[in-house]
Amino acid sequence: MGSTTGYFRPGDSWLHRRHPVTKLLGLAWILTATFLLPPGVLPLITVGLILLALRCRLGRAVGASLRIPAVLVASILVVNGLVFPGATTVLIGLGPLAVTREGLEFGIVSASRILVAFTASILFLLTTLPDDLLEALVSRGVSHRVAFVVLSAAQMVPRLQTRASTILEAQQSRGLVTTGSAGQRARALVPLVGPLLLGSLIDVRERTLALEARGFGALPRRTAYRLVADPPADRWLRIAFLFGIVGVLVAAVGVGR
Amino acid sequence: MSTGSSSRDRVPRKSGSEGDSESRPRLRIEGLRLRYPGQLAAAIDGVDLAVGSGELVAVAGRNGAGKSSLALAAAGLVPRVVQAAVGGSVWLGGVDALRASAADLAGRVGIVFSIPARQLSGSKPTVREELAFGLENLALPRDEMDARIDRVLERMGIGHLAGRDPFTLSGGEQQRVAVASIVVMEPQTIVLDEPTAQLDPAGAQAVAALLGELAAEERAVLYAEHRSTLLGAADRCLVLDSGRVVAFDAPGQVLSSRILVPLGLEPPTIVVLAEVAGIADRGAFDEAAVAAALAGSRRHRERASAVLGRPRPAVDWEPVRDHPPTAVEIAGLVHRYPGGIEAVRGVTLGIPPGQRVAIVGQNGSGKTTLVKHLNGLLRPDAGEVRIGGASVGGRPVFELARTVGFVFQDPDDQLFNRTVERELRFGPANLRLPAATIDRLVEAALEATGLAPQRLANPYDLGLSERKLVALASVLAMDPAVLVLDEPTTGQDGPGVARIGAIVDAVAAAGRTVVAITHDMEFAAEHFERIVVMRAGEVVLDGSPAEVFAPERAPVLASTGLEPPVAARIGARLGLGTTPTLAALLAALDGAAAGGDRAPVPGRTDATAGSPPPAEATVPGGTTPSAGPFGPPSGRSSPASGPSARDAS
Repeated sequence: MGSTTGYFRPGDSWLHRRHPVTKLLGLAWILTATFLLPPGVLPLITVGLILLALRCRLGRAVGASLRIPAVLVASILVVNGLVFPGATTVLIGLGPLAVTREGLEFGIVSASRILVAFTASILFLLTTLPDDLLEALVSRGVSHRVAFVVLSAAQMVPRLQTRASTILEAQQSRGLVTTGSAGQRARALVPLVGPLLLGSLIDVRERTLALEARGFGALPRRTAYRLVADPPADRWLRIAFLFGIVGVLVAAVGVGR
Repeated sequence: MSTGSSSRDRVPRKSGSEGDSESRPRLRIEGLRLRYPGQLAAAIDGVDLAVGSGELVAVAGRNGAGKSSLALAAAGLVPRVVQAAVGGSVWLGGVDALRASAADLAGRVGIVFSIPARQLSGSKPTVREELAFGLENLALPRDEMDARIDRVLERMGIGHLAGRDPFTLSGGEQQRVAVASIVVMEPQTIVLDEPTAQLDPAGAQAVAALLGELAAEERAVLYAEHRSTLLGAADRCLVLDSGRVVAFDAPGQVLSSRILVPLGLEPPTIVVLAEVAGIADRGAFDEAAVAAALAGSRRHRERASAVLGRPRPAVDWEPVRDHPPTAVEIAGLVHRYPGGIEAVRGVTLGIPPGQRVAIVGQNGSGKTTLVKHLNGLLRPDAGEVRIGGASVGGRPVFELARTVGFVFQDPDDQLFNRTVERELRFGPANLRLPAATIDRLVEAALEATGLAPQRLANPYDLGLSERKLVALASVLAMDPAVLVLDEPTTGQDGPGVARIGAIVDAVAAAGRTVVAITHDMEFAAEHFERIVVMRAGEVVLDGSPAEVFAPERAPVLASTGLEPPVAARIGARLGLGTTPTLAALLAALDGAAAGGDRAPVPGRTDATAGSPPPAEATVPGGTTPSAGPFGPPSGRSSPASGPSARDAS
């Protein structure tokens, strides 16, 4: 994982070879199905994603990345399990609080949707070089300024992770204790987050200057050095995904009635 | 650009001042005034400047003098990108840069900044594609992009990096890519703001040679710099102070003591020597000429004292915390990064308590990896590190921080408090020192770094060089037994470097051990009693400055991309043996002159002629000048003393 390559892992799998726009449409199809269709589809999508990850030899990388949403997923389960409005079926009583069936069911569905959406997104990022995504979007008529913002967003988390680890080293070198009680860990956050935010602001300012210096956005059109492969089959896949998205929307409206 | 070339033998070309630059300058600045929002004082206050085709113009001055602001304005980034109130005019060819759009300026001007990682696009996975980024923005066809990229890769000597991820390169390699990324766009005017700040000496020489080549192509080149290597390569040099032009003439003229000393700056060492020899007005940066003139002159030390004026202010450091004498022992250290790259390959060093050790070497030679083991930031794959006799292994970084203070190269990795004073309290408070002790330490660190007037300032309102001093002060306030500095002089002007040197001297005099990574050979020679030279993860030279910079060590040194400081080079030319500092050179010159009939001969390199005995630097497998690993420490050698000078501004 590098600063320019984001989460991308080099490879030659079927998913790696797909055009970024094809993958983007596939991701959109999965996300719409995940959030708009009944929860019964979730196991199917999950199995599909697991098989895809294994086929791309990215099972371990996907598994490792699941710790990113772990806190969010756990908090959804806990909060909904304990304080779901209108819930009546108590499973476990905990003094003034109670774990309810309705809350737990809602929490499990919500958490599953987030995990599925996250897994699909991370598979997209692991198999798509950010620069390929940028060129693919620009070639489809997206403004290169907008495409650059999308690219920067894809690279932001890994870049912040790299910088955060350097800041952690610098503060530990000044005696900051980052282990121990929850209070101690919380106190250690300020010296870590402060330089991270301030450094990022400085970074943005200086990178803006650098992009200007290299003529970014100076002319109304630009040319592309990088050639992004677009296999013939991808065209049919994109059409299929578009139909899939429309199908999900129609089905969702039908279910809603 | 060949990495072995130097500014002293750059490509012959027509000087802009001799050609038509006065009539048709590529860059013309008239009455420029510039003031940033919220600032009372103008950053630039009435600057006039013209840079013609094929002309190299350098800008010197203290940090905060307005060099970077002038560079931004000359590159057409003010006020279009950087907000400021501006007056006067900046003309790039026929375009008014203060009012031009980005499209108007495309292809006319390019600018290189000092921190390479922040000027790369951040979006390209390889160096080749990074170089294409600017060409894509100029809407060039792909064939032409390839042709230009191939040319610039070869010219910059970075063809071997073409397929690498720019963010996996060392700082020096990144800077070459950053310069190449502008050169490949072939702008008519090129502006560079301290382009060699992150570079090792070989990298700086390569940039100096490149600037000469660019000028030979009839491009106008304007650059702000501190290094004498580049300042001396200019056709003309502008000296700024508080946004105003103090002088604008040939480098030998404006970088003289007459101009610089009243500004609180010291002339570059080579200019001091030229003044001592009485040839400052003709060939001040020509080492051969200076050496020849010195051979024929007398009373060198007396003249140098007159040139340099008053001595530098000293720094006191009274130890507050009670540390026993603390040695650093490294035995057979090996470190491999993920992917198998062996950054440190079996290094063994014994550093006695109170010794000042400079670690030098090319970018990527393993220096930072080595010192990160001293406080446990990295753990060895083989070998052992002991601090004060106790193994570092298994001890957490925050615990080792009680003994080892580590100042990072980038201050923005650690500063977060609202005021300088609060930032300084952070470290000693983490060590849970008594409040009275913290007060004493903070006051001492503020005093030592000269930051007392800024104690209530927000660190992020200060310039980079001052933020670096805040970072140093914040570790100094922990009063560690071992102080580790990673490139402490980067981005500092002359007085800033002198201040850091004085701190190193004072801390070591108080019995603390100091280990510093530096690319500045003059700084290393003047303030460190031992120099360790690294190449490809191994120690290739280890000894005192006199030993490491001895003429007979020059080939080994050159193989690491380094060269001795100018005083040592002049001493070698005159056959004076090893003279690593200005003081040593002047003493040797006076000694040789007093010998009368044993006057030095220019070009002679016989180290035994009128010189100290041959130097004995250690090479791997040989004896060390200090204690072996885990053995008893040896005695200290005395530091260089007497008058000294260094790069201007």
